[in-house]
Amino acid sequence: MVRSPIPPWLMIVLSIGGLVVALGVYGILSARQTAINETQSVLPGIKGMGEGFTKIRAPQGTESNPKPSWLWQDTKASVTRLFAGTAIGVVASIVIGILMGSYRWIEAPLAPIISFMAKIPPTAMLPLYMIAFGTSTNLFIAMVALGIFFSMAQSVFQATRQDVTQEAIQKAYTLGASDMEIIFEIIWPQIMPRILENIRLQIGPAMVFLIAAEVLFADVGFGYRIRMESRLLRMNTVYWYLALLGGFGLLLDWLMLKLRQYLAPWFQG
Amino acid sequence: MDSLVIENVSHWYGETRVLNDINLRIEAGQIVAVVGPSGCGKSTLLKAILGTHPTNEGTIKADGIPVTGPSRHVGMVYQHYSLYDFLTAEDNVALGLKLDETSLPYRWFAWPAWHKKRKEHLERAREYLRRVNLQDAAKRYPSGLSGGMRQRVAIAQAMILKPKILLLDEPFGALDEATREDLQIMLLQFYQENLRAKAEGRVPEYTMLFVTHELNEALYVADRVIGLSRFHSDGHLGATVVYDRPCPIFKPEDPRDFSRLLEQKEELRNAVFDPDYIKHHSEYVSFWDEIALEAANLKAN
Repeated sequence: MVRSPIPPWLMIVLSIGGLVVALGVYGILSARQTAINETQSVLPGIKGMGEGFTKIRAPQGTESNPKPSWLWQDTKASVTRLFAGTAIGVVASIVIGILMGSYRWIEAPLAPIISFMAKIPPTAMLPLYMIAFGTSTNLFIAMVALGIFFSMAQSVFQATRQDVTQEAIQKAYTLGASDMEIIFEIIWPQIMPRILENIRLQIGPAMVFLIAAEVLFADVGFGYRIRMESRLLRMNTVYWYLALLGGFGLLLDWLMLKLRQYLAPWFQG
Repeated sequence: MDSLVIENVSHWYGETRVLNDINLRIEAGQIVAVVGPSGCGKSTLLKAILGTHPTNEGTIKADGIPVTGPSRHVGMVYQHYSLYDFLTAEDNVALGLKLDETSLPYRWFAWPAWHKKRKEHLERAREYLRRVNLQDAAKRYPSGLSGGMRQRVAIAQAMILKPKILLLDEPFGALDEATREDLQIMLLQFYQENLRAKAEGRVPEYTMLFVTHELNEALYVADRVIGLSRFHSDGHLGATVVYDRPCPIFKPEDPRDFSRLLEQKEELRNAVFDPDYIKHHSEYVSFWDEIALEAANLKAN
């Protein structure tokens, strides 16, 4: 029957089973490929993956000019870009979204532009951002920030309008609130968990925009390394990077969820 | 001692006149019920008193101050949306003190002083929760409260600022019958406190105007019933006050004997709800005359 529950032990066995099957299928494919070509690097086995891991952690540069490992360089570059971009995009969209939801004379000029811009696929705007910001770190930060800004400003605006009822605002005035207090004491706490939820959902797109920009324009970072290594079919490093991206995404997702539960225990969906 | 004075208030939306020439004077300590056919403008009147819909004509004064927008002098309890989800019961009640007595810069920059004040606010909030019999629910969020408990918190929240008048828009309309009776009795207790205050020469604390669609509730809880309707000789101009009379006063411990109300209920049906009974609008508007007569009788005896 649809949605009928299963016992917890079966749940656990099945979820481990899924993982085992996926790894098993990969193992078989990898072994067959190795049988055909012993030096294949498209479906590396355990040994190949081990070599890849050593490689991404090996120090780079020369003895006179040492550089940290690829993993360290790329993580530092990509994480900085991702966090700076997300932070700027999120803060800007919160400020603009709340102001639009609070004042009609701010909504009127901005709403048409923002709904139009939100419809353009952000990655299609890359050439424009390149002209505006060059190919320095700023480009990647701008790509992430602007990529999430337009759609998130729209959701913050919607939340401000819909999650905060007219009654809630009028009541606050009868309790002696000023306009600023309405924004900081009524609107902000009411929509804060919704915003955290939004940030959580925007982490995925933010990573898409960052990787796309890095694949095209970067000389360091996850997107750059994946492109360079996959050109040479050195998939043992590429797979490590992909796994790290997946793990990183899951971790951020979980952290945002915990943060929301901690800051807004009252929030239900 | 007039908490609310409404003079010659008319209101219209576009071509449709809703309210016509409303005159009303409510004294501190009265608990007034407003009844009327649906769509007669009860909500419009409440919004006008609240100040969110300024009237087209006439003036409304709360405690002598003209109403120009929602302010701390007029409290409000809605049927729904009555509490802030993100605050616990005690924080909801303390919100008025926070917003009214302190400012954002004060709370942000003078936080040691604010911290101290906050404690006192929460104490006062818990005192008000005691008044509505909810002292045990202080730390709970609205999502964990029943409908009746939420309305109790909402009433405490609105009362803590001691508004000149508290408006309640069908406050118990969404509650089950047992809960509704409990809350009605709570209002009767407030009324008894008003009487005590008056007897001791203090200004009574609870002045309320509540809209209801239940005539029994209106006559049982209130000490004065106002009927709003357009079934009168100038009805084409809009609804006005067509009924304004005192009604029986129940004590909280009195049996809920609604047979005492039958006669007046019939009169209300006739005067306010019967479209075929057209009369001059002032035929049943006699509250202040009856009060004066009663006072004269008391003196004579």
